[in-house]
Amino acid sequence: MGYFERAMLAAIVIGAGAGFVGALVVLRRRTFFAQALTHATYPGAVAAAALGVSVPLGAAVASVVIVAIMAGIARIRRQGAQVAAGIVLTGGFAAGALLQAALPGLPVQPESLLVGSILTVTDADILLAAVVAVAAVVLVAAFGRRIAFSTFDPAGFRAAGFREWPIEVLVLGLIAASVVSSLPAVGAILAIALIAAPAAAARLVVRSYRGVLFAAPVIGAASGIVGVLASRAFAIAAGPAIALAATGCFAIALGASQLRRLPWRGRSIPVETAEEARIA
Amino acid sequence: MTDRPVLRLRSAAFTHPGGAGVSGLDLDIRAGEAVALIGPNGAGKSTLLNGLLGLVPRTAGTVEYAGHPHAAVGMIGVLPQSADLDPDFPISLEQVVMQGRYRRLGLFRWPGRADRAAVADALAAVGLTELAKRRFGDLSGGQRQRGLLARALAGEPSLLLLDEPFNGLDQQNRDALIQTLRDLKARGVAVIVSTHDLELARLVCDTVVLVNGEQLAHGPVDDVLTLGNLQECFEGTEIEIDEHTLVVPGHEGH
Repeated sequence: MGYFERAMLAAIVIGAGAGFVGALVVLRRRTFFAQALTHATYPGAVAAAALGVSVPLGAAVASVVIVAIMAGIARIRRQGAQVAAGIVLTGGFAAGALLQAALPGLPVQPESLLVGSILTVTDADILLAAVVAVAAVVLVAAFGRRIAFSTFDPAGFRAAGFREWPIEVLVLGLIAASVVSSLPAVGAILAIALIAAPAAAARLVVRSYRGVLFAAPVIGAASGIVGVLASRAFAIAAGPAIALAATGCFAIALGASQLRRLPWRGRSIPVETAEEARIA
Repeated sequence: MTDRPVLRLRSAAFTHPGGAGVSGLDLDIRAGEAVALIGPNGAGKSTLLNGLLGLVPRTAGTVEYAGHPHAAVGMIGVLPQSADLDPDFPISLEQVVMQGRYRRLGLFRWPGRADRAAVADALAAVGLTELAKRRFGDLSGGQRQRGLLARALAGEPSLLLLDEPFNGLDQQNRDALIQTLRDLKARGVAVIVSTHDLELARLVCDTVVLVNGEQLAHGPVDDVLTLGNLQECFEGTEIEIDEHTLVVPGHEGH
């Protein structure tokens, strides 16, 4: 397998996996959390590169520490999850930048940690992304209904006799795994584009949460393919090209959803009116 | 065995970890009986209902569910107060009602014929069959409330807990809800309704429990809803009786 075919395979696997987990991120409104996680894994990736160990491993260790810190900050009175995510996002990124400046002669290019380097992904990177994607599909097959219930109506979910924290831990764990496995392709800064944009696009054009779970990975994989092709055709960096392709998908979906609302397409009858008409 | 109450409380108290709670609860509720739970805001009505669900710890007394110390899976259906649900979540009314079956479904089991039949029955019971495929967020407030009641019914509960179900309902949805509650009683479901609405208590309930931090009175509607009892329960607060708002004066030298 040549480097181009390998990059294409990585783009498809990572794009589909990130899109799938991204559907959970967008539906549960955890985008800012995921964003903070991507940036804050950066010092872990730098440290791993300096120590000569696997970069995803360093990012994974950092993500566990970060989730614990964010859970702690979110418990402080009058702070909350948004504040926690904001602090961790900037704090983690600053720590990574300082660490990188303090450690000259890193064996990897700093840019590859920030914006990815899909042309140099290893078989292990692709395998990790595939394992994360398959695990996410299996877990959502088992827990998807409960994830949807707890997302839609947390109070009703508790009243029905379910516990919420296992669902939250499961989803946060999947987000962290997805972030870590996306880093080789799109890096710490751009990972959020591949996670959030395909799912946000799917959310605009699909009317059921199951539909979003199917459409988001397709859009994610397509963004990966388009990005890698554009990278070769125009000799541009692949990570930003993939992120821009995902952003473009979102823009197209936004346009399509606005077109459907134009007055000449005709409006559906409001529900209340329809029911009253039926009763009358 | 048919005489055994669906729910029996003896000197029960439910207390939040913060200290607020409701105590001195003594009541039996039988199949087909509807109980109105009446008291001012902060009296512990929701605490009692959440305590029955196991969401607030029981700190005194005993609770028996059909003779057992714990409720069987699916025994209790609940319509929570002002559900903080996400109106933008892409889910159909039918899927919301199916959530009422999840406790009966295993992790990998898909809903079967019995589940779909229960969902269809529940939708019919609240009169929303024709809106089953509609996106939940597109329904009106009253229709959403009826949809959540259908979700509570889909689990085929023998005890139904309704927390302020009539808040903010227009007349059409209110009448529909009253009719549904009467049908449920006729089918042998025991119902506890917390409400501020004394007229409603008269329309659908057999007995009333007055609470204000503790149980003040319990008995048939007309025996309990006396001016003296209401004065004790609602000291100095506004109440509605038959569409008139009264201000109950406080006790002197209380």
